Amino acid sequence: MAENNLCIALNQVAKTVDTPEGKLDILDNISLQVEYQEAVVIKGASGSGKTTLLGLMAGLDQASSGDILLLGHNLMQKNEEQRAAIRSGQVGFVFQSFHLVQGASAVQNVMLPLELSGIGDAQARALASLQQVGLESRRDTLVEHLSGGEQQRVAIARAYATRPRILFADEPTGNLDATTGRQIADLMFALRDQSGTTLVLVTHETELLERGDRQILIESGRLVSDG
Amino acid sequence: MKVKRATIHAYWLMFIASVITVSIVTSSQLITDRIGLLLDRQASELLAADLLIESSNEFSSDYRAQAQRDGLQVSQSVSLRSAIFVDDNPSLIALKAVDANYPLRGKLETAGEMTGDRQVTTEIPARGEVWVDSKLASLVGSRLQLGEQSFAASRLITYEPDRGGAIFNLAPRVLMNHEDLASTGLVVPGSRVKYRLMFAGAAADVGRFKIWLMINIKPGEEIQDLENARPEMRRALERTRKFFALAIVLTLVIAMAAIAITARYTATQEAPKVAMLRAFGISQISLLKYYLRQLGALWVTATLVGIAIGWFTQFPLQWVLDGWFGKALPQVNSLRPYLTAALVGLLALAGFSLPYLVNVTATPPMQVLRTVVNSRSWLRGLSISASAIIAVFAVLMLLMQSSLLAVATLALVLACALILPLLLGWMVRALLVSSQRRFWLRQYLLSRLRATSRGAIYVMSGFSLVLIAILLIAVVKDELIGEWQTQLPEGIPNYFLINIRSEDVGGIEAFLRQRGIEASTPYALVRARMTQINAVDVDKIDFRDPRAAHSVTHTFNVTHAEELPDQNQIVAGEWLSDNDDLAQVSVEQGLAERLELEVGDRLTMAVGSQPLEARVSSIRSVLWENFKPNFYLIANAELIESFPQTWLLSALIADSDKADLKQLLQRYPSVTLLDISELMARVRAIVDRASVALQFFFLFALASAVIVLLAAIQTGRHEREVESSLLRALSASSGQLYRVHILEYTLMGALIGFFSAAFATVAGWALSEYFFDIEFQLSARVWIYSLVSATLVFSLAGTLVSRRVYNVSPMKVLRS
Repeated sequence: MAENNLCIALNQVAKTVDTPEGKLDILDNISLQVEYQEAVVIKGASGSGKTTLLGLMAGLDQASSGDILLLGHNLMQKNEEQRAAIRSGQVGFVFQSFHLVQGASAVQNVMLPLELSGIGDAQARALASLQQVGLESRRDTLVEHLSGGEQQRVAIARAYATRPRILFADEPTGNLDATTGRQIADLMFALRDQSGTTLVLVTHETELLERGDRQILIESGRLVSDG
Repeated sequence: MKVKRATIHAYWLMFIASVITVSIVTSSQLITDRIGLLLDRQASELLAADLLIESSNEFSSDYRAQAQRDGLQVSQSVSLRSAIFVDDNPSLIALKAVDANYPLRGKLETAGEMTGDRQVTTEIPARGEVWVDSKLASLVGSRLQLGEQSFAASRLITYEPDRGGAIFNLAPRVLMNHEDLASTGLVVPGSRVKYRLMFAGAAADVGRFKIWLMINIKPGEEIQDLENARPEMRRALERTRKFFALAIVLTLVIAMAAIAITARYTATQEAPKVAMLRAFGISQISLLKYYLRQLGALWVTATLVGIAIGWFTQFPLQWVLDGWFGKALPQVNSLRPYLTAALVGLLALAGFSLPYLVNVTATPPMQVLRTVVNSRSWLRGLSISASAIIAVFAVLMLLMQSSLLAVATLALVLACALILPLLLGWMVRALLVSSQRRFWLRQYLLSRLRATSRGAIYVMSGFSLVLIAILLIAVVKDELIGEWQTQLPEGIPNYFLINIRSEDVGGIEAFLRQRGIEASTPYALVRARMTQINAVDVDKIDFRDPRAAHSVTHTFNVTHAEELPDQNQIVAGEWLSDNDDLAQVSVEQGLAERLELEVGDRLTMAVGSQPLEARVSSIRSVLWENFKPNFYLIANAELIESFPQTWLLSALIADSDKADLKQLLQRYPSVTLLDISELMARVRAIVDRASVALQFFFLFALASAVIVLLAAIQTGRHEREVESSLLRALSASSGQLYRVHILEYTLMGALIGFFSAAFATVAGWALSEYFFDIEFQLSARVWIYSLVSATLVFSLAGTLVSRRVYNVSPMKVLRS
């Protein structure tokens, strides 16, 4: 695997948290690499540590030990402010609970990361992104008035609006019925194919698991299989 | 685990809000009861007793016996009109014979001569002596013939607590020992004599005796109240009570707003738990019972803690008041304040939190699986509003006993509570629409305020209500009391010069001017008695108001004024003109009400034996407490000029100039001097007392406001943390996070400040116009305080909250 083609690299990463009962190892000795344009799916039982792993890879959290490289930056040497700057405009997220800004319209939600990253012409880009997910007619609807599937589409439009190099998705179809879930999965992978974005997603859904280029299995905080 | 922690937190805030409500009620009830007792005593001084009955016949000895059985002190007096000769001229006097117990409340003050030192006394004139008031000052030291007996006029009365009526409208007082009355031979069958029996004692004993009296009183006997006291003092006391009533209502509104906000928050926090329990098949009734038990426990604990705090907080005010007035506040030995506080706590808690909790128990079990977006139905909103209105109304009725002021305040508060969310919501939407091109930062902020899940509009409305209440207390405290004080400034005339002959007016004015003594315009006076109204004899008219009988036997000073006197206001009709075939008269509002007079009515009066006829051209309100020359009747100049007149003027005479008064009296022996400085000092003391006590309520209101603020911050904390975490994940910098939080709070503060100032201004105007008879002035200070304090407090709170929120890990968005 060529070093300069690495989008994410984890080397002997561990995450330990303090609990009233003492120290608890959430992740232990994780090493893995993700190349640009790859679609990697992380699976595992509940509490196995897969969401923590996603958070560490995306720079949302700090590891206790080891090294994490994201887009060529060593995250272990960065504070939260610096990690946010790395994510800015280059990393997108899709969450299980959508996490849209209530009280704002669909287009305003998509404009948010563009404006936060200082990307110009936010409205036009947001509209284009909404068009890609088929929601241009609902652009001015308040997000709380949209269906679950529509809300997740807005979240995907928001994630792709900055044209990120990596998209992290945490159980993106977990809150949706099977049909809508399938549509969302189709949409995510279609957009990924169009844009060449690296995709890292955590899921239980067989449909999504099968679509990934690679599957990583996590059990009790340890990487059990990768391939 | 998270739900449990949040729930404990939510209950904790509701608990604190309830404790504050109970302690406010306990403290305010204790304090107002104690101040009320003090005011009652002041009021009692105006009657020289706690209770008195009056009749033109002698009283049965049963009254005295029953009062003594009830443990009351009793005193009697006999008043009658008589005449004495001063310099061979007959002069009408008001003779009063009192027994050794007089006065039961208040103290007589006397002096050796007009300019001599005053002494408070517990004595009454010795047998063979009389005391006279300042109108007969020249007689002190001489002898006076009263009927068949001669008396030595030994002292001058400078303050008589129960002297009623307008200051210069009274015949000169001669006070004598009751035991001397029979020897004068003045009281014979058919004499117009007023007998008074006065009672005083512990409040409970007086109350019991009053009930007995009301059952046993005979026709022609009348229980007297403050209505017959001096109008200046009565108005001051009544107004003070109104100030207190308003301050208590407003403080309570704040405390209840705190309960309402925290109850809503608790209910929101409980919703996931309820959804889970309902999914497991627990019935709504069981859940309701569970919450009722929780509320019950919360109420009991909050009541105990609140009562304890309330009991302690009465002491700081007591220290302040004791220090200021040198008198200890009377003690209240009753359970009533504590029981009232407990009941108010229960009503507020049940009224505000039950509807929310009933709603929560109806949370759909489906919510356990996914968020059910359930827009608030009309029915739900209505039940919450109705319950809150009933609770507030019940509390006010309990505390204010159907006072019109309380009901009006409730109406104002409800209007604010209903209109504010609509106005704030409309304002936020209007600002949102104005720009669509950019989302960050303004539109984002407004979206946050609009999101119903965060309840920002309700929190803002609640806090606005609190701020309106605080501003109103401040308006009452500063503006209204200030206005009252300006009506009674230092340096206003402290003497009335009456009985000035027409030919002496110019000379007296010149005398005063030469000595640099400020004096008012002289007023011509004609003494007249009402004989007919619309050609019907007054003694044949059946007036609804029992006080009318006194008014028609009263001799009035009718005067003339070219223009409406200062601080008089026409409430009906037009000021005097010469365009009528009949002379015109302007009548004071209270007198017009008692005699059921209307504009256009024809009055016939008797000046000596001559008739005086006039048509009522206007009805006038009079600010009696300004101590200026005030009149019941003002007529056309021609009318006054056709009758013998005397003149009156008021003057500000400094202590250093008092020696000149002797010279004045020697040069103009007909003139009588009335010193009103003592009365003015007493009214001023009431105003000051009211001001200090209101300050205390203001502090209480501020303490409750802090709790509302904490509740307001707490209400949106979870949502704020998740939003911050999301913004972090979307790569917002800490500067952007800080900005969004501080600006959100600043925007909230500015909106709250703006609307609160607007509502407080309208409410302040309504209260001063309709309840306090005080001219309302638009205060820039209210706007400045409101905008600055709300913006500052909220942006500071925002900064403090942001410190926590900006440290939230972006991982929270994955975990939530």
